[in-house]
Amino acid sequence: NQPVALSLYRQRLEARLSLLQSAVDEYNKAKNEFAAKATDEEMRLLRFQRRLEEEKGEQLLGLSLQDTLRVLLSVGLNKPAEQLYKDFRVPDKRYWWLKITALADKEDWDELEKF
Amino acid sequence: MAAHLCYGRVNLNILREAARKDLREFLDKCAGSKAIVWDEYLTGPFGLIAQYSLLKEHEVEKMFTLKAGRLPPADVKNIIFFVRPRLELMDIIAENVMSEDKMQSPREFNILFVPRRSMLCEQRLKEQGVLGSFTNIDEYILDLIPYDGDLLSMECESAFRECYLENDQTSLYHTAKGLMTIQALYGTIPQIFGKGECARHVANMMLRMKREFAGSQTQILPVFDTLLLLDRNVDLLTPLATQLTYEGLIDEIYGITNGYVKLPPEKFAQKKQGEGGKDLPTEPKKLQLNSAEELYAEIRDKNFNAVGAALSKKAKIISAAFEERHNAKTVGEIKQFVSQLPHMQAARSSLANHTSIAELIKDITTSETFFDNLTVEQEFMTGVDTDKVNTYIEDCIAQKDPLIKILRLVCMQSVCNNGLKQKVLDYYKREILQTYGYEYILTLNNLEKTGLLKPQTTTRNNYPTIRKTLKLWMEDANEQNPNDISYVYSGYAPLSVRLTQVLARPGWRSIEEVLKMLPGPHFEERQPLPTGLHKKRQQGENRTTLVFFLGGVTYAEIAALRFLSQMEEGGTEYIIATTKLINGTSWIKSLMDKPEVNI
Repeated sequence: NQPVALSLYRQRLEARLSLLQSAVDEYNKAKNEFAAKATDEEMRLLRFQRRLEEEKGEQLLGLSLQDTLRVLLSVGLNKPAEQLYKDFRVPDKRYWWLKITALADKEDWDELEKF
Repeated sequence: MAAHLCYGRVNLNILREAARKDLREFLDKCAGSKAIVWDEYLTGPFGLIAQYSLLKEHEVEKMFTLKAGRLPPADVKNIIFFVRPRLELMDIIAENVMSEDKMQSPREFNILFVPRRSMLCEQRLKEQGVLGSFTNIDEYILDLIPYDGDLLSMECESAFRECYLENDQTSLYHTAKGLMTIQALYGTIPQIFGKGECARHVANMMLRMKREFAGSQTQILPVFDTLLLLDRNVDLLTPLATQLTYEGLIDEIYGITNGYVKLPPEKFAQKKQGEGGKDLPTEPKKLQLNSAEELYAEIRDKNFNAVGAALSKKAKIISAAFEERHNAKTVGEIKQFVSQLPHMQAARSSLANHTSIAELIKDITTSETFFDNLTVEQEFMTGVDTDKVNTYIEDCIAQKDPLIKILRLVCMQSVCNNGLKQKVLDYYKREILQTYGYEYILTLNNLEKTGLLKPQTTTRNNYPTIRKTLKLWMEDANEQNPNDISYVYSGYAPLSVRLTQVLARPGWRSIEEVLKMLPGPHFEERQPLPTGLHKKRQQGENRTTLVFFLGGVTYAEIAALRFLSQMEEGGTEYIIATTKLINGTSWIKSLMDKPEVNI
């Protein structure tokens, strides 16, 4: 059953992405730049989450960017986290906060030291 | 039971009695034993009108909560549904009725719509094929519910959202109707003042209804001199600020619903001997809060910093009273002492309760988070750095503090800056979406539509002018012995209440400029009184004003108005009415959408 479930799940994600795409178009028509951009980012995030889920098997889909980063850091997937942080231009301050708390929660003092 | 309603300047018990009479009449219409099926939302407000005993007197034997499926068995002749006119509820009722018909004993079905019957709902019942099953379909007009001796509320949760976001003015119609009921019971209100779009609508509807009933003039000496209608969006700032009165803080922290608060039980564990404190209560402690409780009436509107002193003073008085027994020598004296005992014991338990509540609140108000949050609020209200990104808000987002807290602060900054620079606004919005999730884009949109959050359109920020003219910030607010309403927020005087205060003296003409800066028209109407009903005012007699907050009012604003009523040279007493009692959190929550997240 798993492939069926997986494909259903993909279909749903595709449907969601296409709805978001039409939202982007509408926002552009309404000249709501901010909302168009935010929606576009949400689509990028969803795609990124799907890729990582398939590669690493972490449950990410639907989490906010911040929560995605937190999960990644807490399981030690630092590379993709770095990439997200750069791609989405997360402010440094917020990212440092997150990294420190995530590493502290994990009690990964070595990494915290390096950082 | 409802004694606290009659002590005030205006006897609100008349309104409650009228509501009870209507209820009795309806119940008697359905002869025989009855069971009531409640729309759960209504139980709270109804509790303020009638206790179970009244229902019991009218042969109500069982009560259920409305839910899908089959009705619980009950050996009664009538089933009465008490519901709000909502389509989704009609579907549930239809389901109830259909699954019922198969059973043997026939029961009669009735519906009581609160506050009004609706064609749409009846149509829905018809479509479901059950309309014919009902013996009585009636409406129970319950617009304004007496809450306390000087407070009326419609308990209409979504009024602000409907009026300012969805452009649905149904609640304004109910407001106007409610005010007509008030005028039928307490006489025509000769003067109407108002500020805001919704206020204008309500006044127009009232005047029109008045013309329609032109023939049936009430011959009652007017109790109210003035009605003031205020739109909530005239003063968006006040509800965003953290209330600092005792009652306000109870509401901010625990939430007061229909005059009741639920508190964590640990502090209220009864210390009984022999039990060794084994079984702590796990149910939250439920307390009723109103002016019927002497001590609560005394401290509810004080700034929280003055509550401790008031409680310890009361404690001394009570223990002194108990000491009196040693002085009682003659039988007569002892008898007198004993007769006072129940009253003293009630006072003592009330003191114990409020000491516990005050301790609970103090744990929070002395915390660093509370202090930091308050500092930022006060900076915004005094106009410090409202034009750039605030580092405290940034930090709170980074730590993913509750979203509503963030939204309250960001909206407050926006209001105090007459809108945020596009760059600052977009930064906050992006931070919120990235941290809490994209779905909150809808909430942010709602906040923008209602004006709580907005981009700056002109470079001129008129908030400082408003603040100065209306004296919204008082440096030397005295919390212990207040001399100005600003004590309710430890420095900030609620804009809405300032408008009320200025209206009474020296009049709105003195602040034309500021009124123009605030949204919506301001107006004055007069309703002619039939000859002979003009009030002859005694020397030194106070005027009575009914202040109606369209879209909600906070406990701190109520406290400020009560303070004005008590001021000796004030000359005006206030009765407060509103669509809903709110605080910043419940208010913002009512503007949030809950999209169904299905991945």
